[in-house]
Amino acid sequence: MTLAARERPVPLSPLARWDARWKLAAVAVAVAGVAALDRLPPATVALAAGLGLLALARLPGRWVRPRLAVFAVAALPFLLVLPFTLDGPAWSLGPVRVSERGVVSGLAVLCRALAIGSLTLVLVGTAPLHQTFAAAARLRVPGVLVLLALLAYRYTFLLGDELRRMRTAARVRGFKATATRHGYRTLGHLTGAVLVRGADRADRVADAMRCRGFAGRLHTLAAFRTTADDVAGFVLLAAGTIALVIWDRLGPS
Amino acid sequence: MTPHPVLRTHQLSHTYADGRRALDGVTFTVGDGECAALVGPNGAGKTTLFLRLCGVLSGKPGQASVGGLDPADPAQRKKLPETVGVVFQNPDDQLFSPTVLDDVAFGPLNLGATADEARAAAGDALKAVGLADAGGRVPFHLSGGERRRAALAGVLAMRPAVLLLDEPTMFLDPRGRRELIELLRDLPGTKLIATHDLDLVLDLCPRVLVLDGGRLAADGPAAELLADADLMGRHGLEVPYRLRG
Repeated sequence: MTLAARERPVPLSPLARWDARWKLAAVAVAVAGVAALDRLPPATVALAAGLGLLALARLPGRWVRPRLAVFAVAALPFLLVLPFTLDGPAWSLGPVRVSERGVVSGLAVLCRALAIGSLTLVLVGTAPLHQTFAAAARLRVPGVLVLLALLAYRYTFLLGDELRRMRTAARVRGFKATATRHGYRTLGHLTGAVLVRGADRADRVADAMRCRGFAGRLHTLAAFRTTADDVAGFVLLAAGTIALVIWDRLGPS
Repeated sequence: MTPHPVLRTHQLSHTYADGRRALDGVTFTVGDGECAALVGPNGAGKTTLFLRLCGVLSGKPGQASVGGLDPADPAQRKKLPETVGVVFQNPDDQLFSPTVLDDVAFGPLNLGATADEARAAAGDALKAVGLADAGGRVPFHLSGGERRRAALAGVLAMRPAVLLLDEPTMFLDPRGRRELIELLRDLPGTKLIATHDLDLVLDLCPRVLVLDGGRLAADGPAAELLADADLMGRHGLEVPYRLRG
């Protein structure tokens, strides 16, 4: 089984009905805005808004939670390091000095990461990914980037399956992945073989595309239609983001 | 009367960057509407020949012509996709779009068709290969036989005059193989089929070209060449069961 088996149906929701182009543009503005936030209160509001959008998207919790956890893990180092490295007012816990500013900054980073994660999951969870790629192409995102994303998405799973097959083949010949020199060497060889096969496949895919007249520009049959609701959704999210950034900038530094 | 040649090679040679000579002075013609088979052992140069004919591999001008176009000429090579369609060995290399309809429409859109024209061409091609209802499906959800037919539809949608099929029955179960043979039999146009499946050759191709070590070893009627045990043995092939005495 390859990618197709892992494609998830999109739950019916107002966000699923949102034109993918307007949704992509709105989420891009929101992500850029959230990334620019410095203070904890606006970042907390951004997180609340992101989680609200996730709820509105009606995405299943078991799909959302592990993915959101990845964003939390990415922000964790900041939460762990900043309280012990920034100066200013601090709490003393025995010999340990915990910076107040460090804790607030770490929490702000965590909120920002989770808010960006929520927005990203809303984007990828409320439309088939190919529709989002087609929307990106329509929004004049450079064709090479769209094509790279589309092909990477398609063939990552195929290569993953090849790696699984090779691991099975190694296992039936008695290989056990152990922390030994032989184990690491074998895993290295398997990974190398997958990469080489991936490069070969990339060449063959490129050949097949050229034979069908591909000259660097991705054309698609995807049809989009803008409604007043699509524009309203974009304006709402963009205006909310701008308001958050202004609030962030006007507040105490 | 000999049909007008649409595919012609003259002393066609190809050497890869590592010095391996994959084709060595191959000369033949295939007439308009003819269905010919290209057989030979692994490494004979069949796929290289196809890649040269469709312009994926570059070479010396004047060695090949497909529908009057020289694949080695950059300006003419751009027009080749309208003339020659290639169905590759592994359909997974060819099916990369999110839906079957998108994939089949990929070629027509590249050739400048409007979305409506591309959709119509894709619909016709899917109907021709018996996948009329599969347009909305994900290519990787298809069975091996369906994938092969979807890949073929992607090429047929471009309405090429010449079809090059590389190992079309590879990975197919007997039923899928039989269905594909029936489908290919009904397809109009010039066909060159590279294959190890000699029963398919007997079913579809009146003529066979034997390629070995990059050289054309024989060219003649399929029933005659494939029954020649010496010839078959010399080139790593076997006489098909149905021709054995």
